[in-house]
Amino acid sequence: MSDVAFVILAFMIAVYVLLDGYDLGVAALAPFISRSDKDRAEAMHAIGPYWNGNEVWLIAAGGVSFALFPLAYASAFSGFYLPFMIVLWLLMFRGIAMEVREHFPSEIWHAFWDTAFSLSSALLILLFGVTIGNLVRGLPLHASGFFLGTFAFLLNPYALAVGLFAVAALTEHGATFLTMVASGEIAQRSRAAIGRLWWIVLALYLIVTIFTLAIRPVAFARPWLALVALVSLVAFVLLRTRLSGESRVAPFVCSTVFIASLLVAAVGTIYPYLLPDFGGSGGLTIYAASASPHAMVWGIGATLVGLVAVSTYSILAFRRLGAPA
Amino acid sequence: MDIVTVDRLQFAFTVMFHYLFPIGTLGIAPFIAWYVYRASTGDAEADSIARFLTKIFAFNFAAGVVTGIPMEFQFGTNWATFSAKSGSVIGQPLAMEGVYAFFLESVFLGVLLYGKKRVSPRWYIASAVCVWIGSWISGYFIVATNAWMQHPVGYHVTNGTIELDSIAAVLFSSFAWWQFAHVIVSAALAGGFILAGIGSYYVLARRDESIGRRFTRAGVIVAFIASCLVIFPTGDRNGHDVTINQPIKLAAMEGLFETTHGAPLAIIGMPDVANKKLIDPIVVPRFLSFLAYGNFDANVDGLTNYATVLWPPVELTYYAYHVMVGFGTIFLAASALAVLLLLLKRLEGTRGMLWALMLLMPFPYIAIEAGWVTSEVGRQPWIIYGVMRTSEGVSANVNSGEVLFTLIGFLGMYFMLGVTFLYLVLREIGLGPAHE
Repeated sequence: MSDVAFVILAFMIAVYVLLDGYDLGVAALAPFISRSDKDRAEAMHAIGPYWNGNEVWLIAAGGVSFALFPLAYASAFSGFYLPFMIVLWLLMFRGIAMEVREHFPSEIWHAFWDTAFSLSSALLILLFGVTIGNLVRGLPLHASGFFLGTFAFLLNPYALAVGLFAVAALTEHGATFLTMVASGEIAQRSRAAIGRLWWIVLALYLIVTIFTLAIRPVAFARPWLALVALVSLVAFVLLRTRLSGESRVAPFVCSTVFIASLLVAAVGTIYPYLLPDFGGSGGLTIYAASASPHAMVWGIGATLVGLVAVSTYSILAFRRLGAPA
Repeated sequence: MDIVTVDRLQFAFTVMFHYLFPIGTLGIAPFIAWYVYRASTGDAEADSIARFLTKIFAFNFAAGVVTGIPMEFQFGTNWATFSAKSGSVIGQPLAMEGVYAFFLESVFLGVLLYGKKRVSPRWYIASAVCVWIGSWISGYFIVATNAWMQHPVGYHVTNGTIELDSIAAVLFSSFAWWQFAHVIVSAALAGGFILAGIGSYYVLARRDESIGRRFTRAGVIVAFIASCLVIFPTGDRNGHDVTINQPIKLAAMEGLFETTHGAPLAIIGMPDVANKKLIDPIVVPRFLSFLAYGNFDANVDGLTNYATVLWPPVELTYYAYHVMVGFGTIFLAASALAVLLLLLKRLEGTRGMLWALMLLMPFPYIAIEAGWVTSEVGRQPWIIYGVMRTSEGVSANVNSGEVLFTLIGFLGMYFMLGVTFLYLVLREIGLGPAHE
C-alpha cells in the first residue's frame, strides 16, 4: 500500500517538474533569446495559458503527500522552514510578475517585471534542485523523524551541483518547449540555445552522476537503475542528434524523457525512504511515514480516480485550445 | 514573543489575506456562467460582460493561487506536530481539493481566457460552468477541513496519532455542510454587492450605462436573496451547531458570563473579562435563549460555567461576531430597499441608493473576515476541538524568531501583492466592460 502511494506521489512530483519545469525554464531562458520587448512578450505568451495549471500540480502533490505521508510532510516542511518560505515568496513574486506585465503600459515596467520573472524562476529551479539533492544525500534526522535544516547543511557542494544541473536542464527543457510552440526567430534562437546549453548540461550531468554514485552506492545494488540511466543517456544523445532535424516536437520529447528518467533514478535511489538519514543507512521510510490504513486506501483510490479525470479533461481541453498539453 | 502566538499571527494574517480572493472567485463565478450562457443566445452585451468578469475573476484566481500555496505549506512548516498527528484525516480533503477542484478550475479558466475563438460555444459554456463548479467544490473541501477541526468526527486516537475511521463521516458531516452553505451564500452576497457596486458606479458616472444597469439589477437581486440565506437558514443552523458543540464559543460570542435562564441577546456592550460582566449593554430580553434553543426560557451556559483556561479570547470573539451580525443586518436592509426600488422601477434614478450600493462594496469582505475570526478565535484554545490544543500543534524544530522573520516577510509580500491587485482590478473597472 505504501509502495503504491509512493509511486503516485513520485508520479505527481515528476509531472509537476516536467510541466512547471518548461515554464520555469522558458522564464530563465527568456533574457538570453530576446532582443526586444516583443520577443519577451512572445515567450511569455507561449506559457501564459499553462503556468497556472502547471503550478496546481505542486499544490496537488503537496496535498497528496499530506494525506498519505503526514509524518514525512510535517518533517520535511518544518525542517526546510526558511528555504520553503523563500520558495513561497519566489512563487508569489513570479506569479505577480507574470500576471501584471501586460497591464503596465510601459517598456521600462515590462523590463522590470520580465527580469523579476526570470530571476525568481531561475532561483526557484535552483532551490528545487537543491532540495532534491539534499533528499538524495540525506538529512540530519532525529529519532522522532524531524530535523533542523540549517543553510550551512543544506547548501553543500553536492546539493548545489544538483541545483545547477536542474537550472541548466530545465532551461534546456524550456528551450525545447519554445522550439515546439513558438514561431519565427524565437523558435530558431531557442533551437540554437539548446545546442549551447547541451554542453553545459552534459558537464553537470556527468558530475552529478559520479557524485551520486559516490555518496549513494546503493545505486550499484539495483541493476534496474542502470537501465534507467541508459534511457536518460539515450534520450540526452538523441536530443543532440535530432536537433538539426526538422521536427519541432522531437527535442521536447527527448528532453521530457531525459528529465523523467533522471527523476526516476533519484526516486529509485532513495526508495524505500522518503527522507533518508545523512551519513547513516536508515531514515524515515515510506512505511513509517504512512497515514492510517483507512486513510491510505481512501487517499490512494480518490487520488487515482481524480488524476484519471484530470488527465482526460485537460487533454481534451488543451487539444481544443489547439496547443500541446 | 512565544512561538504559539507568532505562529497563530502568521496563520491568521496569511489566511485572512488569502480569503479575500476566494470571496471574489466564489462570488463572481456563477455570474460568469450566466453571462456566458446569455452570450451564446446572441446577447452581444452579455458577451462583453462575461469577458470583463472573467478578467476580474482571473486576477482573483491568480492572487488566490499564490496566497493559497502558503496556506497548505504552513500546515507542514509551522504546524508540523498537528500535521504529523492529524494528516490521516485532514490531509484527505486537502488532497481532494487539489485533485478534484483546483485542476478543474485552473484548466477551464485557461479555456475561458484563451479559448473564446478556439472552442465551440457549447464547450465554452461548459468551461464556464466547470470553473464555477470547481471553485465551489474547492471551497467545500477547505471548509470540510476546517469543520473537522471545529467538530472532529470519524476518527480514533492510537498512541497519540489520529487515525481515520470513516471518510464519509468527515465529508458528509452536517456541521461541515452547514458551514459550507454559510460560506457560499456569504460569497454570493459579496458577489452581488460587487456587481451592484460596479454597476452603480457606471450609472452614476454616466458611462457604460446600459451594462451598468444590468450589473445593478442582477447584483441587488442576488445580494438580497443571499442576504436572506446568510441569516436563515445557514446562519441560524451554524448558530445551533455552535450552541450544541461549542457552548463556550457561544458564550464568548454573546458576551454571556453568567449562566442564565431566559438569556438576553446583547446588541451593544463591551465585555469586561476581568470583572466578568458586559459593560453598558443594550439587550433584547430572553432573545438569546430563543435563538439558541427556540425557547425563550431556555438555559444558556455562561463563561463562568467553564474553567478560564478553556475560554477563547473573549473580546475578540465578541466584537468580531457583532461586526458580522451588524453588517449582515445592514446588507439585508440595503438590498431589500434596493430590490423594492427595482420593483418600483426607480432604482436607476435614486442616486442616494446607487451611492450606498457603490460604497457598500468593501463591507461584505469585512463581515466575512469578521465571521472567520469569530469561528477561529472562538474555538481557541483548541486546534482540534476537544482533542488537541493549539499550543500542542506547533513545529518543535522551528523557533519564534524565524517565524517572526517570515511573518514580516509575508507582510511585505502581501502589501505589494495587495497594491498590485487593486491597481489591476481598478484599472479594469476603469477601462470598462466595453473595452476590448
